[in-house]
Amino acid sequence: MGDRSANRFLRQGLLALALLTPAAGFAAESPAVTSPRLSATLVSSRDTVQPGERFQVALKQKITKGWHTYWANPGDSGEATKIDWTLPEGYAAGEIQWPAPKAIPFPPLVNFGFEGTVLLPVEITVPESAKPGETLTLKANATWLVCEKICIPEEGLFTLDLPIGPAAVVDEQAQQRIEAVRAALPQPAQFKARLTGEGDRLALALPGIGKAATDLRFFPLSDTLIDHAAPQALAAEGEGASLQLTRSSAFKITRPELSGVVTYREGSIPRALTLVADVEPSLVTAATEAAPSGTAVVRTPAPPPESDLTLWAALAFAFAGGLILNLMPCVLPVLFIKALGFAQLAQANRAEVREQGLLFLCGVLATFLVLASIVIGLGALGTSVGWGFQLQSPPVVIALAVIMALIGFNLLGAFEVGSSVQGVGHGLASSGGRMGAFMTGALAVIVATPCTAPFMGAAMGYALTQPPALALCVFLALALGFAAPVVMLSFAPGWLRLLPKPGRWMVILKQAFAFPMFATAIWLVWVASVQAGPMGVLAALVAVLAAGFLVWLLGLSRGAGGRTRVATSILALLVAIGAGTFVVQSAVPSDGPSEARAGEVEAWSPERVAALQAQGRPVFVNFTAAWCITCLANERVSLSRQEVKDAFASLKVAYLKADWTNRDKVIAQALAEHGRAGVPLYLFYPASKGGQAEILPQLLTTDMLITAAERAAGREVKTAASR
Amino acid sequence: MKAMTRQTFIAGLALAGLTLTAGAGFAQNAPKIGAAAPAFSVVDADGKPQKLSDFAGKTVILEWTNHDCPYVRKHYNSATMQNLQKDMTKDGVVWLSVISSPPGEQGYADGPQAKNLTKTRDAAPSNVLLDPKGAMGRAYHAQTTPHMYIINPQGTLVYAGAIDDKPSASASSLNGAKSYVRQAMTELKAGKPISEAATKSYGCAIKLAPTT
Repeated sequence: MGDRSANRFLRQGLLALALLTPAAGFAAESPAVTSPRLSATLVSSRDTVQPGERFQVALKQKITKGWHTYWANPGDSGEATKIDWTLPEGYAAGEIQWPAPKAIPFPPLVNFGFEGTVLLPVEITVPESAKPGETLTLKANATWLVCEKICIPEEGLFTLDLPIGPAAVVDEQAQQRIEAVRAALPQPAQFKARLTGEGDRLALALPGIGKAATDLRFFPLSDTLIDHAAPQALAAEGEGASLQLTRSSAFKITRPELSGVVTYREGSIPRALTLVADVEPSLVTAATEAAPSGTAVVRTPAPPPESDLTLWAALAFAFAGGLILNLMPCVLPVLFIKALGFAQLAQANRAEVREQGLLFLCGVLATFLVLASIVIGLGALGTSVGWGFQLQSPPVVIALAVIMALIGFNLLGAFEVGSSVQGVGHGLASSGGRMGAFMTGALAVIVATPCTAPFMGAAMGYALTQPPALALCVFLALALGFAAPVVMLSFAPGWLRLLPKPGRWMVILKQAFAFPMFATAIWLVWVASVQAGPMGVLAALVAVLAAGFLVWLLGLSRGAGGRTRVATSILALLVAIGAGTFVVQSAVPSDGPSEARAGEVEAWSPERVAALQAQGRPVFVNFTAAWCITCLANERVSLSRQEVKDAFASLKVAYLKADWTNRDKVIAQALAEHGRAGVPLYLFYPASKGGQAEILPQLLTTDMLITAAERAAGREVKTAASR
Repeated sequence: MKAMTRQTFIAGLALAGLTLTAGAGFAQNAPKIGAAAPAFSVVDADGKPQKLSDFAGKTVILEWTNHDCPYVRKHYNSATMQNLQKDMTKDGVVWLSVISSPPGEQGYADGPQAKNLTKTRDAAPSNVLLDPKGAMGRAYHAQTTPHMYIINPQGTLVYAGAIDDKPSASASSLNGAKSYVRQAMTELKAGKPISEAATKSYGCAIKLAPTT
């Protein structure tokens, strides 16, 4: 095959393009783009589309015998078919829904692709605002590589005019063909696969595929995972199957999960499943550790921008974040009253004050260490959790609400706490014991967990991408920052003399501080309502009631005789067991992701971002959670301001919300990709396809939002004068 | 919360156990980054024998090629490949273009044809190696055209993979493409570790004569 014949092929490809004539009238299939190797059309399942509906179209490739086109991962050579859409405003096209590929051997290589006739379905979303009577023009610029032994890149520009009507008109034939293909698409596996490895060998455990399955083959989406052509030996693995794979020589896994398709037969029935596999953590970081030489080091791809922090900067951020945590409304009362306790003590015994300050520090450090070990430990095991993760569990939220309410009651003087429930507030105002000071530290950290202070996000995100030892250092810096004000006061109680003499004002102040605690409790009950619905609210309030009743009972029994004591203890135990059971049973997370709560806000998904960008719209993504107070503050103070809404509207910014109130793997992964371990995270994607997001600070201002919107849109707000 | 932690922990233990048992697999001998590059013994376009050991002490770049492959054409039609060859050989690097296609397959060239290709395309390899039996292609596990390899003066394979990070046949993909070869050579020269030493090559499937 000489130079000239290749040129001829290319020219034929171009000729095929030229043959495209404008569609005459309305048809559910575009004119064909034809070459001797392949004939392609765009097919629609609708003759008439309806506003607000989603429908399927498909790129149909009729491939000449002996030739093939490629799957999402083409295998050892080749290139996947791509479609670029040009759609009217408001319309969106999804990704190609890939049918299960075939392994096409070309010894010693193998390709993944399609032979014969293949339909690649794509979902089109019609906006509600589409006007019946007008015409929708779908334009798809598709490129594909078609190969036999030799490969020819081809492309086609497909145009399909579809009328918009009050009701959809289905093209029965096209609908049937596309739906038949979609029915045969790989189905999500109902089990979690696991990828483990040693040396050059990898093992993919498929616990949900029975021993009767034959002809198993795994097609990874990533082309840097396995040696595509190596045999995939089948081994039994407990109840299920396991495939023995060989590492790619360009082996690289960048995230703890990987996806792909597994095809097999059950008897004579072909099956195809899409898999999401957990990857053994050591595989993710160790790229080609098989390489013995020090001259070649393979790095994981460039770290996300936020993680470019140096260790020192991360430590400084963590310390500052810890300091600022002291000012959070739920923490401030606890600490302020501790400080007042010092003031009373100070006159008597400076050494004791110092000792208490250090014990408080120990309490803070110990509690932070426990939290950090959980976060880091789970991260190392491949579970994505982040800061504030514990608030994704309704029972934890309810427990925090109870603690807040009890502290509130205590501050109001509704009960005094004896030695039995020491730490749940008693040590706050009085001198307390040593245990009391330690517990105050622990309590302060626990009440602080709902809050993410500014600077903390970047530091936490950095911490979780580092080896455990460094991550622990960051957590310790946060703890030191958090404990610093109280410890400093304990060493320099002289500052306390600036306060008026202890007296009645302290009692009043103490009572006043009850109200921020109640407010925090109310907010936590609201979080429970978002997570677990009306039953969550009931459970939370019952828990508060039971806790209040219990401390009252315990208070009564303190002064009473032995028999009364026994009786009240039994009663208390019964109440605790009853209420506890009820709370745990009722506080079940509601099914499905929580919906975006604001009106014009759409739910976030990575596909939606890509689709909107492809339409030329800038995209703002708000990663938030009901339990994240910084998030809620930003929404109040800046995001919901009219200037921002106007600017977003005039720049056609799409506002997407990713709600992390309940656990969500995809969101956790997106956070990790941007170097964060928790919410809030604000991203602004430019209006160009595939454009990278700009990360906004964790405290938003209206000006910041508007200028970021302008940058993303590549122009200024037209109504700038109104600012 | 506690329950979840425990579950995850157990899952982790199970995973760790699996790691230890993941054994029986398939031994393979693809050339390893950081190990000695596979030896070869082929002839050049003039029919002269060429061996890897002839180039000891020099950095060697291998370029698998097939002049009719659209991906190779992308790099030659835009002069990207020729410029890379000139920049590299100028610094004393040995650039060997390797043709592994057997007679009758796309990309095959005999000696005179290979020399003519170099001339007409204004290419600047140090030499063109003919591997019509595919032995050298198999030794290196060359998969596509182009497929690039860099061997350091000690004979160690330090890079294997794609020529750049844009797996496309379209000429526009050259805009903003990152050349893995230039990156590796810059790092090699500076005595730094190669940051991306193994990448996935892209292009046309390599055509090898069947083994007999």
